[in-house]
Amino acid sequence: MSVLRPRTLSARYARTAYLFLLPAILFFAAFFYLPIGNVVSTSLMTGPSADRFAGLGNYTQALADPAVRHSFLVTGGFALIVVAGSIVLGLGLAMALDQPLRGRVAFRVMLLVPYLTSVAIVGLLWRNILDPELGVLNRTLAALGLPEQQWLNTSPLLTIAAVTLWQSVGYTMVLFLAGLQGIPETFHEAAKIDGADAWHRFWRITLPLLAPTTLFVSVMAVISGLQAFGQAYIITNGGPGDATDLSVFHIFNVAFRARDFGYASAQSVLLLIVIVAFTLVQLRAGRRGEVQY
Amino acid sequence: MRRALLYTLLTVASLVMVLPLLYMLSLSLQTEAETLSAEAVVWPESPQWGNYAELFARAPFGDFIVNSLVVAGGITLAHLLFDPLVGYVFAKFRFPLRNTLFVALLATLMVPFFVRMIPLYVLMAHLGWINTYQGLITPFLMDAFGIFLMRQFIQPIPDDLIHAARIDGASEFAIYRRIILPQTRPALAVLGLFTFVFQWNEFLWPLVATTTPEMRTIPVGLTLFNQEYFTLWHLTAAGSVILFVPTAVLFIVTQRYFVRGIALTGLR
Repeated sequence: MSVLRPRTLSARYARTAYLFLLPAILFFAAFFYLPIGNVVSTSLMTGPSADRFAGLGNYTQALADPAVRHSFLVTGGFALIVVAGSIVLGLGLAMALDQPLRGRVAFRVMLLVPYLTSVAIVGLLWRNILDPELGVLNRTLAALGLPEQQWLNTSPLLTIAAVTLWQSVGYTMVLFLAGLQGIPETFHEAAKIDGADAWHRFWRITLPLLAPTTLFVSVMAVISGLQAFGQAYIITNGGPGDATDLSVFHIFNVAFRARDFGYASAQSVLLLIVIVAFTLVQLRAGRRGEVQY
Repeated sequence: MRRALLYTLLTVASLVMVLPLLYMLSLSLQTEAETLSAEAVVWPESPQWGNYAELFARAPFGDFIVNSLVVAGGITLAHLLFDPLVGYVFAKFRFPLRNTLFVALLATLMVPFFVRMIPLYVLMAHLGWINTYQGLITPFLMDAFGIFLMRQFIQPIPDDLIHAARIDGASEFAIYRRIILPQTRPALAVLGLFTFVFQWNEFLWPLVATTTPEMRTIPVGLTLFNQEYFTLWHLTAAGSVILFVPTAVLFIVTQRYFVRGIALTGLR
């Protein structure tokens, strides 16, 4: 029996590894790295077929364009509401569920159900519910003699953010629930013996020890909030006026309705930079705030 | 007292979550007159199951369903085929550039879909793949998260099992297929479940990459149907119920895995 020499053996393993990796390398090259390169190069082009070199023209134009700046502001506000809501409501529900209650599993299932719905369902269903004339909410309020709501006109951004939270808060609740269950009971017991009340235990034990979960939830909520699309496309069509002109919706319209791929690509790159910057800042802040007990 | 408060809070929250979906079911069974009546109808006088048939008559809804099944099913199969194989390589093999490739892979997690949207559209247009199944499926064949999940799951499997199989003369692919893959079943179930549900619900790319009603998936077909027949809410609701039922059934059957799967995504 021949003894295999290690050098040929490791070379053989490397060959096997690359053989198994080949489809993945081709896939990520063709559908991730090539498109990223292309979005950057297209962002330097102008014209209806994006074939005239414009240098940084699209970027300077975008940064000076009131419509683009407005869409970034709207998107930032939307993401901010979604992040705050995800943390406050998600943590609140998780803490309520993290008690020895009957029917916990049933509550968890019900709270998580909207998370399974497509943004198409979220959008269409809530557009129907909130519709000023045909909506079930106003028809019910009118029948009860109560004042009717015009939320999609009076506070459209807050309303579509609330609808987004309706869908996503079950997900953040489950994340917080997992985080809460990872905090050893002994910390709470020790604090109780030392005379700390529930309020102090929440601020001094629960919240600091949940920091990694909170960080993860806020990073995920910012990333998904900044790229929301369906809510604007389905519920408000960006309106009233341009009050809910979310960035990706704006980019979609520039690309596929106005057919300006160069300008839309530049805006995509700008939004990506914003998202990456936010993520890095959050991770930094999160690391500084980390505690060990 | 405190318990009563907790129950009230959880009940109210649960109702807020579930009632809109039950209303969607009610709406799908109402007559057009009921959807427009001044006093909102809680539950229709006599459920109009015919609404579902009418929906199929007015829009190629059968095509939508087939398209959604082909696209979400195809992408899920691809994930189950590729993600564990790639995860296995990163978990158990040493080879040049391993860390570089792994970082390059994880970096794709930072790329939101909208960044790829325009270049993918241009690429698909060049290939003539707009409005085709391959155009809808190929951008999502694998993803870094699924690969990472499988790598984490495969790493604790003892190397000795692999060495023993090599000594017995098993081929490298047979080792993967016979020894590694069977042990990853729980992770594969979670991966398959999540991939299917997300792709079934996907909206933006099928909206961009289809041009005729016959190629649309349910979320897109339904939304554009609603734009065309925006007063026929009972039919839009019927379509929403059809879109929702498969994910709801999958969820109820697998809710334990599902919850564990979400918790897992938070632990990475």
